[in-house]
Amino acid sequence: MRDPSLPITLRPWLRLLARRRRRLMAGAALLALTLGSAIGLLALSGWFITASALTGMALAAGLAATLDVHVPGGGIRTFAVTRTVARYVERLYNHDTVLRLLADLRGTLFAVMARLDERVLARRRASDWLNRLTADIDTLDSLYLRLLAPPAVALLAVLLLSGFVALWVPVAGLAVAALLLSAWLWLTVGQAWLGMAPSHSQVSHVQRLRSQAIEHLQGQAELEAYGARDAHRRLLLQRESQLQQLQRSLGRLSGFGTSLVNLMVGLAMLTALWLAAMAWEQGGISGAVMVMLPLAVLATGEALALLPVAFTHLGATRAAAERLNELVASGGEGTKPGHEALPAGPLSVVLRGVTLRYPGALQPALESVDLALPAGARLALTGASGAGKSSVAALLTRQLPPTAGEIRLGGSALHNIEERSLRERVAILGQRVDLFQDSLAHNLYLADPKADESELWRALAWVELADWAESLPRGLATRVGEGGRQLSGGQARRLALARLWLRDPGLVILDEPFAGLDAELAARLSGRLDQWLAGRTVIYLVHQLAGAFEPPGITRHERLYQGRLTDCAAHSFRSG
Amino acid sequence: MAKGITEPMGERFGPELTPRRWLAAHAAGQRVWLTLAALAGFAVGALTIVQMLLLAWIISRLLVDGASVASLGGGFLALAAVLPVRALAQWGQELAGQEASLRIRRAVRAELLDHLAAMGPVRAGARHTAGLASQLVEQVEALDGYFARFLPQLRLAVAIPVMILVVVLWLDWLAALFLLLAAPLIPLFMALVGMGAERLNQAQFAAVSRLAGHFLDRVRGIATLQLFHRTEAATHEVHEAADDYRRLSMRTLRLAFLSSAVLEFFASVAIAVVAIYVGFGLLGYIDYGPSPQLTLFTGLLVLLLAPEFFQPLRSLAQHYHDRAAALGAADGMVALLSEAAAEQRTGRPRPVREAGQVVSLVNVTLDHPGRGRVLGPLDLTVRQGDILAITGPSGVGKSALLQLLAGFVAPDQGERRVMDGLSFAWMDQRPLLIPGSLADNLRLAAPGASDAELHQALRHAGLADVVDALPGGLATPLGERGSGLSGGQAQRLALARVFLSNSPLVLLDEPTASLDEGAEAGIIESLRQLSDTGRTLVIATHHPALMALATRRLVLAEGRVVSDSGEAKGDEKDDERRDDA
Repeated sequence: MRDPSLPITLRPWLRLLARRRRRLMAGAALLALTLGSAIGLLALSGWFITASALTGMALAAGLAATLDVHVPGGGIRTFAVTRTVARYVERLYNHDTVLRLLADLRGTLFAVMARLDERVLARRRASDWLNRLTADIDTLDSLYLRLLAPPAVALLAVLLLSGFVALWVPVAGLAVAALLLSAWLWLTVGQAWLGMAPSHSQVSHVQRLRSQAIEHLQGQAELEAYGARDAHRRLLLQRESQLQQLQRSLGRLSGFGTSLVNLMVGLAMLTALWLAAMAWEQGGISGAVMVMLPLAVLATGEALALLPVAFTHLGATRAAAERLNELVASGGEGTKPGHEALPAGPLSVVLRGVTLRYPGALQPALESVDLALPAGARLALTGASGAGKSSVAALLTRQLPPTAGEIRLGGSALHNIEERSLRERVAILGQRVDLFQDSLAHNLYLADPKADESELWRALAWVELADWAESLPRGLATRVGEGGRQLSGGQARRLALARLWLRDPGLVILDEPFAGLDAELAARLSGRLDQWLAGRTVIYLVHQLAGAFEPPGITRHERLYQGRLTDCAAHSFRSG
Repeated sequence: MAKGITEPMGERFGPELTPRRWLAAHAAGQRVWLTLAALAGFAVGALTIVQMLLLAWIISRLLVDGASVASLGGGFLALAAVLPVRALAQWGQELAGQEASLRIRRAVRAELLDHLAAMGPVRAGARHTAGLASQLVEQVEALDGYFARFLPQLRLAVAIPVMILVVVLWLDWLAALFLLLAAPLIPLFMALVGMGAERLNQAQFAAVSRLAGHFLDRVRGIATLQLFHRTEAATHEVHEAADDYRRLSMRTLRLAFLSSAVLEFFASVAIAVVAIYVGFGLLGYIDYGPSPQLTLFTGLLVLLLAPEFFQPLRSLAQHYHDRAAALGAADGMVALLSEAAAEQRTGRPRPVREAGQVVSLVNVTLDHPGRGRVLGPLDLTVRQGDILAITGPSGVGKSALLQLLAGFVAPDQGERRVMDGLSFAWMDQRPLLIPGSLADNLRLAAPGASDAELHQALRHAGLADVVDALPGGLATPLGERGSGLSGGQAQRLALARVFLSNSPLVLLDEPTASLDEGAEAGIIESLRQLSDTGRTLVIATHHPALMALATRRLVLAEGRVVSDSGEAKGDEKDDERRDDA
């Protein structure tokens, strides 16, 4: 390709494919076998019919002529059976390969994503992004079956065919090679080159059309109120016609390639026939061979048939690889793991001049935050949504690095703390409760893989979910639906609390711990939580301190306002 | 939906709108292009026969009749001429099919958008936005293969074999009999292929979504896995799940590929049988039926046509998944299109009974599917200059009442009357932000507004300082969905739009929810200014500060009006006005 970055873009993925080199070779060999049988079948049949006709004519003319019918007959039957069986086995084998590649790709990318920090991840939770990720992975897992094996097998077929033809009529072999190789070159490089730009941008056009559609749907009320719906719809349709323009040019191009295959194969067949006929006329080859050669060329068309569509859309594969490369690169800067272990017992927390700025935001999320919390304290950090509470939580759990300032936990600088120790000693109950599509037990084991079943039951009892779990026909093996959807919001919250109970952290961050629970249950849980929190440092993140849902045992109150700790908060401290 | 299918749909598609009928109706709309595609495909088939005929003829002239190569120049030239014409016809088939598909996809999108517009913000908004967007974009795209390739190919899969059969019949009836014997098997194998593909598709679909679900589920929860230090185990699990899926699908594929292998087998065997039959016939081993009359020409031509007989069917089998994809997509779209569009909504509302009334609801009720009665029966008249706060516990129908006033949803009973030529401004918790400049976003409400007017609106909304401080000013681009703006800033932008719109009636749905006190106070001050310019405000809220702004309070409970502080006073006002007049 002209663009030097294409090989570089695809290199990591080709390297991943190369791990299964032998399977890929075997798959290509099966493809070649199928194709070879198809060529052999038609060529040999043509030879046999002609030879029979010539022999029959000779016999009719009273000449002594014989033809061994068993060898070609057997050959024809063999080719017919091989072609069928090889095609079936090839499809099965290659699909198996593709699915193995899919597993490899998913595993590899998941490992990459597992290292990303919250800033990168937050953008990637949107369903749009996740759908595109799956689509990109699918694009790459079929890289082999669309873009690697077919051109390789086609090239091999063209070369072998030309060689075979050249055995009988050298000049015909050269002519066939010249025609079919230039066709091959155009179908791969030429089609890819012309289709690169439109196929590369197609996905982003679809994406833009999609955002516009979402906008159109979400803004329906305002658009209708301001009478702007038709104007906005025109924008949407404009996007659509841009996309269709791309699709039209891609369709035109791939259609051109497809017809070109038949034209070039036809021309090669015609040339082979003409040159073979000349050779026959000069007595160089028999009549049966003269027929066999063009038929062999004709049957080779199948090898080239898949190329135009695949290579016209090479840009889409390239774009998918670029997006995934970007994803891999975004996890590249990963911080060096620390080695300090956190002490047992409650952890002190110190923030000194901590600032956090999200890229592209007009104002920093946190600005010069100073906070010193002795071990065992219980801080209530209040503020409106967007004031920066969640940012504090993300910083303390090392999901985000601070833009400036220093954070210390239990006396150690946060970035020096060993990963395992940090995760064991710092627990958070966030606003979002992630329940996985798995059993109830599995969702609890997340907190403590070594827990035994009785501990799980006690954890459930602690949040008053044990009776409910017992009433389920499958008990702890009950699957929790997509994102935990079969559970009510309150049940999910309690399950998250149960997860918390299974651990033994020194610092606990609780974001609106009783959100979505009714007052009576909240009161009962509050008492139990109070007990469990004894001997731990606690940070409550709450909207405001009022009403029935005030968390237990607050010893200190700070208020965040637009990313800063406000002074007035210290005065409004109330003991819990 | 209790109302069932709307009339226009019923007229167009008969008593029941099914995915198949709906697809057929759209295909009928592009009959010309689809027919063109089929005709071009038919021409390709015919020219292929001509090509094979010429090939067999040239060979036969050379080998049987002993003609010289030089004397057959005409034959070679004719063959050389057929090839580009056939290539052009093939290109034409692709282009016509594509054009039909592009046009149909555009028509489908327009149909969906029309329907969504008719449903209105409330009924359409009740659906998952991402799901609807995917129907408008990806699902419409999923129709491509069906119209562009499958439908034209479906006609060719019948026409071309018949054409070839006629030619072979003329050449050698026994060979034609071989093909004819296979012919009744064709629909059988088509069904087999179809069933295989469909079963494959269903099983695959379930497995794919389960597995895609597993992977995405874990990706979605990566932050949680990190916090529990479980990413390594999860990575292993992801790989395992993908591998399980592979084993599962291979079981299905083994069967599914069998049906296409059968087709492949027929294509191969046809060549083999014909070759051996013709060969033996030419050798004189067979003296039954037409065999003694076989010549190299007829024999070779039958051989060359045998694979072409099965080729259209093989192509159709390749495009079979396009059909399944289109049916799947059509299923969802038909379900959406069958949902009643409230026709009353789009009709012209009757005028209010008295001057000074802006909008009134008379004895209205509102039901939500699956939730029963949401509102009413109730009466409400909004008068000029009102600052009406609608309050009540959450879920009581505040938003629904506001939507009724706006006409976003039609009442199930009763009627909505509006002032002559009423326009209104709307603002809720999630203002619409379009990618484009700040100015583009403002002009949504008033396309003709000057920059000076935009600045003035921003000043009223309390956003002028922020915008002035930006180096790009009004031309500053907003990222996708307004990224870069805080929640409060986005609300102020929406408020600036309200100022720009000059609409006499302003409907606000919880305009300060999720804002901190400072931002809330700013918005309230702006609303007060808005009211000072003589606009009528209706605010659904439970925030005390907003309620304090109101001159009239309406309390809802269980969908009914419990108290309306302005009812009596309002009447008095009306009386006064009447006295004045």
